[in-house]
Order: sequence, then structure tokens, then C-alpha cells
Amino acid sequence: MKKLLLFIVGVLAVAGVVHYVTLIQTPGFIMKRVMMKMGEENTIHHQDKVTADSRGVVRPSPDLLYSVCPFDLTNGALHVTAPVPPGTYWSVSLFDEQTNNFYVKNDKQAKGSVDLLVTLPMADVKRPSGATEVLSPTAKGLVLFRTLINDEKNFAAIDAVRRKANCVFIRSRAS
Amino acid sequence: MRLVLNILAVLILGTALGLAATWLVVSRLGFGSVSDGPWRTSLLVGSAQSGPYLRANVARHGLLALARGETMYYTADHDSGGEWLDGNCIYRIEGREPSARWWSITAYGPDDYLMKNKYNMWSISGETVQLRSDSTFAITASKHRAPTNWIPVTQGRFSLTLRLYNPGAGVVDDPANAMVPKIRRVVCVS
Repeated sequence: MKKLLLFIVGVLAVAGVVHYVTLIQTPGFIMKRVMMKMGEENTIHHQDKVTADSRGVVRPSPDLLYSVCPFDLTNGALHVTAPVPPGTYWSVSLFDEQTNNFYVKNDKQAKGSVDLLVTLPMADVKRPSGATEVLSPTAKGLVLFRTLINDEKNFAAIDAVRRKANCVFIRSRAS
Repeated sequence: MRLVLNILAVLILGTALGLAATWLVVSRLGFGSVSDGPWRTSLLVGSAQSGPYLRANVARHGLLALARGETMYYTADHDSGGEWLDGNCIYRIEGREPSARWWSITAYGPDDYLMKNKYNMWSISGETVQLRSDSTFAITASKHRAPTNWIPVTQGRFSLTLRLYNPGAGVVDDPANAMVPKIRRVVCVS
């Protein structure tokens, strides 16, 4: 009886540890897989209109156009610039490698354009003048632009402006 | 020898049980923590304060979701009567325009992606909805075409996500009272 009890306690203890470890690893694991699917790091990728064939990220909105820059700030910083398409909802958001949304600015807050330097705290890079510095909690992460297609008739115009967004990697002076 | 076998059995069973628990929590359980009728939402999506369970669930079911000040996401996989949403049934989604700068309702298949349909239609939004004269709306989710405000769905289970971009202050402060629409099952056909 005592042996059986010990056996059950042992199984539950191992199960608890395995459960906790795999649970806290899940977001990072999923994020890493998604970033790899999105393409080359520190470069912008303007994704096509969302359809039933879009299999990159779960539960995409078919009303939004997505542009992404997966980043790795280990050897530098990321200069993010974009004009804001007029007359529709637009936002730029930053996610760390644990999937936390650590920065967001929408079209109303951005007032025409954004100019950001996404960087780690002690990065030794030549800072572009005028860029707002945004500290990333992790070296890897993702920049995501959302642009609402508020009317199909405006699609070409909205798409043309959102494609002007850019992510340029600035290598650190030390590396 | 017996002791080694016992330890091995504990490790194998414990690992299997731990993995199964993670799979169950991440794949099968929703991440909502606040309910308004059949709709569930969470206050901490996208924020660093979200615990390991919520973060793992969001990563699986709503990766890259924005924090609630910017966007609120309500998800329903049941109707207002508590039954699973089923593509063989016709649903009437009725309500008033929610308090937000922009909103949409989108249907997803059980794999969390858009369902294939020949019309390339998956959502109704504040821009496309046709309102009745009293400013309310009725959206139909069904396999067969509805004349207006139609979201096509396919056979099998599905779910709906209501997005509120730049939600009104009242909704952000009290997400359980967002005046989200009712999801009424009209009839089921096989």
C-alpha cells in the first residue's frame, strides 16, 4: 500500500514538473516557429490579403493587411519607419519572444508616420536622428503592422501606402 | 532491478501525464476569463502580466493579439443557449453596434483558420453590416446563402471572434458588459 502511494506521488510530481516546464516553454516555441515561417529576420515582409489558405498565424482577420518584421537584436538594432495610411485604422505593434505585446501605436497616435529604433538596453549602435527609441525585453521578437481595408474600393491605395513601411537593421559598432 | 523499473515507470507515466495536461490546457481549453453571454474575453491578452496558462493559450489560439486598450477580442464557440456552434445549423447573431472605433465578427474552423468557401467571405464588420432602421443588426451564419449580412460557415464545429478596435472606455473598464450580440440557433439541418 505504502509502495503504491509512493508510486502515485512520484508520478504526480514528475507530471507536475513536466507540465509546468512545457507550459512555460509553449509561447516561446510557438513564436519561434511562426517567426521562422514569416521569413528572413530584420527584413519587412508584406503579406498578401488573408484568405482560407493563410496558415501563418492562427485566427487572422480577413479585413486587415499584415506586414511583419521578425527581428533579432543580438548584433544591432532595428530601424522601423512607416507612413500612416490616411482614413483607416492602422497600427504598429511589437511583440517579444514570449508573445507579450510590449509596444503599440495606432494611426491616431502616430500622427502621419512612425520612426522607431527597436533596441536592447545597452546596444552600441549609431542612432538615426529623430527616431523614438523602444526597448525590447528580448533579443528576438516581431514588428507587426495592421492596416484595415475599410472599403474594397480603397484597397489599391491602402496597399500602396502600407508597402512603404520598412525595417532596416543597424549593426552595432562592436560587432 | 525492480527499483530501477519502478523509477522508469514513474518517469514515463509522469512525463506522459504532464505532456497530456499541457496539451489539454493549450489545445482544448479556451483562454477567456470574462464572459458576456456565449462570448469570452480576457483582460490580460498581450500583456506581460498574463500568467503561464493564459500566455500559452493565447500563443496557441490568438498569437500576436493586441493588449485590450488597443483591441478587445471576444470569442464564442457556443450559442446563447449553450450549444456548440455547428455548421449544420443556421444562426442569427443579433445586437447593436458595439462601442468601438471599428468592429468585426469573423468565423473560424476548428483549426483556428478561415474556412474555405467559394465566396471568399469570412466576416461582417462595422463597414459592411447593413443596419435595421432602429440601428440594430441581424447577421446570419450558415452554410446556405442569406440575402444580407451573411457569414458563410462549413460543416462541423466553428467559432466566432468579435474584434473591437479602439474599444470605448466603458467596454475597456467593464468587458463583461460590452453589449455583445446574442447568438441564436434558428434551425439545424443535416
